[in-house]
Amino acid sequence: MSKRIITMIVSICTATTLLWTVGLIITIQDQFFYEASSIKQPKPTTSNIKQNNGLSIVALGDSLTRGTGDETGKGYVGYVVDDLKKRTNQHMQFTNLAIKGQRSPQLINQLKQKEVQRQLKEADIILMTIGGNDLFRGGEALRDLSHAQIEKEKKKFVEQLHTIFQLIRTVNDDATVFYIALYNPFNDLGNGKETSAIVRSWNYAASEVAADYKSIICVPTYDLFELQVNDYLYTDKFHPNKEGYKRIGERVASLITLTKGEK
Amino acid sequence: MEETLVVQNVRKNIGKKEIIKGLSFSLKKGEVFGFLGPNGAGKTTTIRMLVGLIRPTSGTISICGYNLQKQFTKAIQHIGCIVENPELYPYLSGWENLEHFARMVPGVTMHRIQEVVELVGLQNRIYDLVRTYSLGMRQRLGIAQALLGKPTVLILDEPTNGLDPVGIREMRQFIRSLAEQEQLSVLVSSHLLSEIQLMCDRVAIMSKGEIIRIDTVEHLLQEQARTYWNVVPINTAKEILINETTVIGEKDGAIVTIYESNETIARCNARLIEAGVLVSGIERKLPTLEDLFIELTGGETID
Amino acid sequence: MINLVYNEMLKIVRKKRLFIIAAIVAVLVSLFTYAQLKQIETIRERIGTTDWRTQLQQQIIDTQNRLNSTGISEEWKKFLKIRLQQQQYYLDNDINPMAPGAPTFMRMFIENSIELFLPLLVMVIAADLVSSEASGGTIKLLLTRPVKRWKILMSKYIAMILSTSFIVFSVAILSYAISGIVFGYGGWNLPLLTGFSIQGEELNTAAVHLIPQWKYLLIEFGLAFFVSLVVGTLTFMLSVLIRSTAAVMGIMLAALISGAILSSMVSSWESAKYLFMVNLRLTSYISGMAPPIDGMTLSFSMMVLATWALVALIVSFYVFTKRDVY
Repeated sequence: MSKRIITMIVSICTATTLLWTVGLIITIQDQFFYEASSIKQPKPTTSNIKQNNGLSIVALGDSLTRGTGDETGKGYVGYVVDDLKKRTNQHMQFTNLAIKGQRSPQLINQLKQKEVQRQLKEADIILMTIGGNDLFRGGEALRDLSHAQIEKEKKKFVEQLHTIFQLIRTVNDDATVFYIALYNPFNDLGNGKETSAIVRSWNYAASEVAADYKSIICVPTYDLFELQVNDYLYTDKFHPNKEGYKRIGERVASLITLTKGEK
Repeated sequence: MEETLVVQNVRKNIGKKEIIKGLSFSLKKGEVFGFLGPNGAGKTTTIRMLVGLIRPTSGTISICGYNLQKQFTKAIQHIGCIVENPELYPYLSGWENLEHFARMVPGVTMHRIQEVVELVGLQNRIYDLVRTYSLGMRQRLGIAQALLGKPTVLILDEPTNGLDPVGIREMRQFIRSLAEQEQLSVLVSSHLLSEIQLMCDRVAIMSKGEIIRIDTVEHLLQEQARTYWNVVPINTAKEILINETTVIGEKDGAIVTIYESNETIARCNARLIEAGVLVSGIERKLPTLEDLFIELTGGETID
Repeated sequence: MINLVYNEMLKIVRKKRLFIIAAIVAVLVSLFTYAQLKQIETIRERIGTTDWRTQLQQQIIDTQNRLNSTGISEEWKKFLKIRLQQQQYYLDNDINPMAPGAPTFMRMFIENSIELFLPLLVMVIAADLVSSEASGGTIKLLLTRPVKRWKILMSKYIAMILSTSFIVFSVAILSYAISGIVFGYGGWNLPLLTGFSIQGEELNTAAVHLIPQWKYLLIEFGLAFFVSLVVGTLTFMLSVLIRSTAAVMGIMLAALISGAILSSMVSSWESAKYLFMVNLRLTSYISGMAPPIDGMTLSFSMMVLATWALVALIVSFYVFTKRDVY
């Protein structure tokens, strides 16, 4: 009995040794002698079947949308989703495409990506923040830039925001877009008055841009942080903390009206 | 008589130290040859050289006319051996162990395996795992394994090691019968002197890497025989005996002289009686190998 | 020679080593399958979809965010960048590299076990091939047969090769059979990309081409077999040199683990690339991951490994045939 088992094992071993040797030969042939000319580009099998009939939310933008500063990692987007889950039984699909430190030109590039466009196309609600990094550049910009310089930056930003909204609208012309406007994290510093004025003028410009498009809503946050700004800021004195994000989230959530499956 | 194993001037150096200093001996067909020496005398090293485990620094070993170093497989084919303990694979059965080694020797049939199993009397337990064997059974399985290839020379290192008295006697008889009936040359090493004395035809005494003596057991013992004289008074008797023969000394109230011949004893006895010495006993004693060994090696101890 | 190899295989089988190894593999595969299942569930829960494109896109964004955070090491950053480019490439070409299925699981399992798990299993067999004979004293019986010493060692080496392929085979078959229960048994023809080459921080896609998953798997298992053989040969050499099986295992274990640690931190110590243990992740070259040290390629690693194995083999045979056995 034992003899048969051993003979069997030995035969398996021999057979597999051969198999693995074949594998090695294929490796050598495939990896070392591959003819670059015969590259066959895979044909993209675009399957744009919308898989979920539920609510699709896509978040775009920078660290605010990412949720930097919120120790729970949710960010305002998380609170919005939480709130929606309470209000509806609908299946919810949520993708967060925000990248920390992203500025408007980078967002434009991102929006040109095929897969991002595919997801946007399926989206029912689009949440986004942009412009914070264009304006503040980590906090140093406001300190020494001249008025003229800031105006120039603003003009550039307005143009890019147009591009962004246009891109979104060409891909998806009926999703509701919530553009979350800027707050001033520096308003209790010495030059709070000046910086506040700049932020207000940016927000005004942005809301003017948003008004040009169908169902793009500019959500103000400036007022949320106007009093006791430090209570709502993270230790970096720039990003909101958990409480700050909650306030933004509440405000955005209150604006979202659910047309189907509402409780 | 035909010589089966011939060792000529074999030396082994380890580093600068010479451990085996020029051994020469040979084994004849059908004899049991003893290898005796204290621990560290070089017995095991010598045996390992004989079976090809250690390469001698110089000298030749030939087995049935084949040079072990140059024609290893042809020479080793005629040797069966157990070196030190009979270490077999504990996780295989006795039979599988034998099969395992049989596959390494050309021309061993199933029939031959059966034969050696019967020869060593392991029929009942041969299909059990070696792990469950007693030391005696392992020793026997070891011998079975050594006999598989029908060797002409059997080399056994301490074959009675760890056996009970009955086992020792059986083993002794077995080894003798192999030599007498199968006409094998058997080389046995042992530190048990009584073993060698009872089992071997010839013996080589080793000490410090050299053979100090090779002879038949009988001859060696004969040469060292002693006569014990129980006499009163001792002093008178001693004077008389000194004139007649060689007195070695006194032991347990008896005078010890060397043994020459029975005539010498009769002559001495007559002289003692003439001188009025009372002779209460005359005894011829053969020394044990132990005495012999101590004498030859000058008091080197054996364990 | 066939008889001798049969003997060696008999001993390996009767020591039950192969079955123990198969059992270990089965347990580990089950654990991995469960972990994988959990991971898929978590991702699904977080994103709310099973669409792989969305998941992959999310992974890309996550990677980008990690890249932007401060305080990650340069090596890690480089690794992430290359992975990012690769993920993007997959996405752009509409290929799902992680399409669920037993073959995909096999691929993931072999890629994760090639560096440590598989070599460890091979080590268990190879470590005592010779040393156990020495410590058990049976070497004396083996070497006093009318068989030349090199033949005895060769039979042991062949037995090592055979058991190695058995181990690789059991990894293949068990990971397929067990994970298939959960993920299904299909997916052999899934197209996958290979031929990535890394130049500095950039992923070169000039030679990238598609191969079906079965071929990809054959390549990866072939490489795993190669790596196992090299590790087996090195263990084999130690087994010849050292009587104690435990010592052999200890040394190999130390080498393998140090390799796993070194690969994640040696990028600045360039000559470390000649050590065998940082070259074990051959499958990374196929899937296009960044090598631990710049300038390492598949052919380089294979050459390094082959050289180590060759030297080990020569040493083993020289020592074994010349040595006095005490």
